[in-house]
Amino acid sequence: MATIEMTPVPAAAPDERSLLPLLDEGKPSARGWLARRIVQAGVIGAGLALIAVNPPVLQTDRVTKGLIFVIIGFSLHILLGYAGQISLGHQAFVGVGAFTSALLVSKGLTFWVAIFVSGATGALTALILGFVALRLKGLVLALVTFAYGQVAVNSIFAIPQLTGGGAGVDALRPAGFEGDKAWAYLVAGFLALIWLLDWRLVKSKAGRAIMTIRENEVAAASFGINVVGYKILAFVLSGAIAGIGGALFAHHTRQVAPNDFNFQLALVFVLMVVVGGLGSRPGVFVGSMFFGIFPLAVPSDFVHYGELIGALLLLLTLTMFPGGIGQQLKPFTDWIAGHPFHFSLKPQRESGISSGGAGVRP
Amino acid sequence: MSVLECNDLSIQFGGLKALDAVDLSVNEWEIVGLIGPNGAGKTTFFNCVMNVYNPTRGSVVYRGENITALPTHERVPRGFGRTFQNVGLVKSLTVMDNMLIAQHSKVRYGAMAGIGGMPGSFREETALRENALEILSFMGLVEHRDARVGSLPYGLQKLSEIAAVLGTDPEFLMLDEPTSGMSPEEAHEFGDLLLKLRTELNLTVLMIEHHVPLVVRVCDHVYVLNFGRLLAEGKPHEIQRHPEVVAAYLGEEE
Repeated sequence: MATIEMTPVPAAAPDERSLLPLLDEGKPSARGWLARRIVQAGVIGAGLALIAVNPPVLQTDRVTKGLIFVIIGFSLHILLGYAGQISLGHQAFVGVGAFTSALLVSKGLTFWVAIFVSGATGALTALILGFVALRLKGLVLALVTFAYGQVAVNSIFAIPQLTGGGAGVDALRPAGFEGDKAWAYLVAGFLALIWLLDWRLVKSKAGRAIMTIRENEVAAASFGINVVGYKILAFVLSGAIAGIGGALFAHHTRQVAPNDFNFQLALVFVLMVVVGGLGSRPGVFVGSMFFGIFPLAVPSDFVHYGELIGALLLLLTLTMFPGGIGQQLKPFTDWIAGHPFHFSLKPQRESGISSGGAGVRP
Repeated sequence: MSVLECNDLSIQFGGLKALDAVDLSVNEWEIVGLIGPNGAGKTTFFNCVMNVYNPTRGSVVYRGENITALPTHERVPRGFGRTFQNVGLVKSLTVMDNMLIAQHSKVRYGAMAGIGGMPGSFREETALRENALEILSFMGLVEHRDARVGSLPYGLQKLSEIAAVLGTDPEFLMLDEPTSGMSPEEAHEFGDLLLKLRTELNLTVLMIEHHVPLVVRVCDHVYVLNFGRLLAEGKPHEIQRHPEVVAAYLGEEE
């Protein structure tokens, strides 16, 4: 223990020397800041240019599918990464959002309202699961979320009036966004919005509360955090984003059928988030992009290799790189965030991600 | 006026009476020690007072208000601050992050305003950081603000936890073995800190503590728990010579 210094006490006399300059210590210079923003803008610009160019392998509609997977990945990441709650029924939230929007738009409602109703129905579906999760943990919770997803898919999605039975429901894209490129930019816009929300979530009191609950519920409560409320909030936020992702999913393919939401999809969602890296937005972005695009970008004979690759990546993540892809990106993402560039080839046992670990490791 | 008053506090786990009719009171500005052998029920008592465990019988009264059934998190705005035997911080986050977590119930912006990035939330976050720096500098922890709690030596983790609890603006501290893992000299310094905290922040303290010299030096009153029951209470030097207490710690001759 270091010596306890008993010197300055700002409590009695208001200190004339503010401690605030300390907050700026270690931050990059104006030039460093500018360099980082230029690189950041360059990466985003390159991505948007990719949509405009429409290259052979990364065609615009494939990239758009990837972007939608990223939105769903961010949704699951709130539960898996921040709250430390597993969900093997996430395809149900996505499906509820997809059918809500498809049904409302086919009844004549505008897409711009329908997508927010999808967010609400997704949140409601997750809310019910959230109340279950208050009482369960670990493997039992995983099994219950699995059952919840299966029940939702096999009951609600089996109502022909809602989901059109096997044939599915048409889901028209909104006026002005029928074309693949315009649609891709719209999806990218939604992703940007959700990215910003996620950033503010972890930088504000709600995100901190959710992450504290993941680590230690009793300690969280003794810091004044309402454990029940914030756990439920994590589920509601996750469900709302999943619902919006589902609506985009439906309008992307222009048609949505109950078969689109099997259990395998829930597994892919978990894979892409864990392999992407718990606690790392850029990692989840890359992981979700990969799992979203891969089945479309390879010849149909090779599609089932996607599962093999996914399993291998999962093993690698769980055994050697607990931070997933995010851990590999860390030197770059840290630099963008304002830290000095530090790169080492040595694999780190400790992932160093500030909010890693969700109890998913065996 | 008594700050905390526990009457007949009892809890039973199955057939085990973990706490049996414990009466304990803490007066304004006192430092009260709670001692007892391992497994005596000291931490269980803290958990009952904080309603982490729901007491089977008895009541907890705080400044005249019966709070037996008040949810744990609602005690913080009333002035409760609690530390844990094995450091109740998020160890994968930095000391500064934990200081922000600790100030949770003081944050005025709503959860959704924070997520939505309302301008007020940015301003308040800066204010929270500034307040955190003041507390860290008071505790001599400023240079560790960006270190992850888990990477710090145990003694510093313990101090960081005290700093975090001070971030909740407490009036009544409940410390669970604050000097465990400290050397005798460090424990002595901790005693200085505790007395200073009481004077400058006007705190009342209830602490579980094993380190006898510290208890004798700082405590105004001591309660002894054994097998879930109160064995003795009194001034520290009286307790030190109490035959039953000595027997409980050293084993009885029969």
